[in-house]
Amino acid sequence: MRPEIHALEEAMAGEGYIADDAIATALLLTEDLRKPLLVEGDAGVGKTEIAKVLARLKKTELIRLQCYEGLDVSTALYEWNYPRQMLRVRMAEREGLAAEAMEQTVFGRSYLLERPLLRAISRREGPAVLLVDEVDRADEAFEAFLLEVLSDFQVTIPELGTIRAEHVPYVVLTSNCTREIGDALRRRCLYLHLDHPSLEKEVAILRSRVPRASETLALQIGRFLKALRERRLMRRPGVAESIDWAQALVRLHIGVLDLEAVKATLGCIVKDRRDQHDLGESELVRLVDGAAHPEVLAS
Amino acid sequence: MRADLLTHLAVFAGALREAGIRVTTGDEVDALRALVLADLGDPEDVRLALRCTLKVRPRDERTFEMLFTRLWLGRAGERTAGRPLGENGPGHPRSPLEAGPSGLAGHERKVEEPEGEERGASREALLRRKSFDRWDERDCLLLERLMARLASRLATRRGRRLRPVHGRGRVDPRRSLRRALATLGEVVTFAKREHPVETARLVVICDTSGSMDGQGRFLLAFVRALKRVARSTEVFVFNTELVRVTSLLSAGEEQAALSALARAVPDWSGGTRIGESLMAFASRHLSELVDSRTVVLIFSDGLERGDPEILAEAMRCIRARARRVIWLNPLLSDPRYEPSARGMAAALPFIDRLAPAHDLESLERLVPHLSL
Repeated sequence: MRPEIHALEEAMAGEGYIADDAIATALLLTEDLRKPLLVEGDAGVGKTEIAKVLARLKKTELIRLQCYEGLDVSTALYEWNYPRQMLRVRMAEREGLAAEAMEQTVFGRSYLLERPLLRAISRREGPAVLLVDEVDRADEAFEAFLLEVLSDFQVTIPELGTIRAEHVPYVVLTSNCTREIGDALRRRCLYLHLDHPSLEKEVAILRSRVPRASETLALQIGRFLKALRERRLMRRPGVAESIDWAQALVRLHIGVLDLEAVKATLGCIVKDRRDQHDLGESELVRLVDGAAHPEVLAS
Repeated sequence: MRADLLTHLAVFAGALREAGIRVTTGDEVDALRALVLADLGDPEDVRLALRCTLKVRPRDERTFEMLFTRLWLGRAGERTAGRPLGENGPGHPRSPLEAGPSGLAGHERKVEEPEGEERGASREALLRRKSFDRWDERDCLLLERLMARLASRLATRRGRRLRPVHGRGRVDPRRSLRRALATLGEVVTFAKREHPVETARLVVICDTSGSMDGQGRFLLAFVRALKRVARSTEVFVFNTELVRVTSLLSAGEEQAALSALARAVPDWSGGTRIGESLMAFASRHLSELVDSRTVVLIFSDGLERGDPEILAEAMRCIRARARRVIWLNPLLSDPRYEPSARGMAAALPFIDRLAPAHDLESLERLVPHLSL
């Protein structure tokens, strides 16, 4: 599998995603075993991005289902187009259509509004990538329903009958771990836990995503964030934040981190009032020094 | 070759299970399918494939890596690492909480001072000051009446989903239209739907150890009152062992319930093992009784005799599943008390609300937090 893993990593790098072996292996297995992939990890470590890159690599459509509490079948799966149905019923009345024939018409496929799950299943032009984002935000009832869809890849609509997947989609589920995902759903998926990247990986990501950032700046940002994440923070900055920060610094024409620049742009990476307050001037000085001279931090 | 692989995988999965990592047959099937694809000569390839297909979570990673090195790579030299996690040798440095030079350790001593003379005068005095110790029958009745009044406040949160209702509510177009078909598209009556009111489920876990002795009667009354309000309330008590007492509290005289309790609980007013008891709860009852609609109430003074690491791990598991975790600590009403007893300190990060429970007022303030 090794050559394939490297090939996939390279392909992903071409799409601007720096993947390590664990990520590439998980994606390969998802494809080969045809199982959904559950990706867990802190916010901003690049969970959602995996699905986006996968869709680009497969040159297919990304269908996204954003989960939230109270998400239900009519938002996730399908909904009948009521106004259209109503109009049709009115017209049928004038045509003098029999009740049964009318029902046949009104509950036809063209009166059905496809929501993400149904869309992913019924897509005709090859398999889509289905991203079920932040599945931990939906409630357990929805999880059970998702389980049913993901195991059979078929949906039963009482008025229409059963719709089977033309092509089984690639499914990526993400979770921020705000609550434990049920065991049943977990078992149905392959599992990948994403951690904050290593320094080398983060620098590579920054270089690839913010090409205008110099090597020095990327390295300093990487070191700064690595040290920052080791502190006890309410909200640890992810890669998404470091990319934002790099972009901000480039925009401000800052080539080397210094205290003034860090203070001016701290909002890009520390997004909590208490965290900002806790990071005193002396601590920032230490972090900036450490970013410029790593041996300072080590001592 | 294939059969060999199968046996090897089965042995490995068995070892993982033994170490407390849940691996199902389905996971093994996934793993086998992945291994057929993997390059078996490349240990890294195999490791990553197994980690992904056996769904190894971050908290199990260390155990997995250790077993993988030992069983899959067959490195016998690392067997010493095979000791289960958490089973530290005597020479192992203890947790920073215990080893902490000044701050925490100092407080700990302060709290444990009265504890040192176990049943001595100062300890008695400390508990006597709490009004619940002097409760009689009439007060219990009063409590039950109060709880009945508070009952309505327990169920105030409306669910996010819409359920069909009769009478008032929002129009449900789907059902209305279906109904209209029967009358040739003429909508005669609108079908309605509404957000249903959701009641929290409660799980109460009470400490009955010696240091909580004075609280027993009152706790019983409180729990019985709660049960009357929220029928799905489950009750556990523990001192050294965890016992489920829900059925004993369901009906009958208070005295009968008390004596039934005393019979069921092995060592009423004995020592405390909070961590192990909560761990027992987490491993045996958590998945069955606790979900995102459950509020877990723990009554304990947090004076832990066992390993605080176990307590922290148990609290982490419970917190991950429950809607909310509330810890009621009778010692909290004592101004000298700070929640730095090592048990309490270990549990603190996983508690949504730490509240005193020494008189009626403190309970009344608690009730709004019991709803969803």
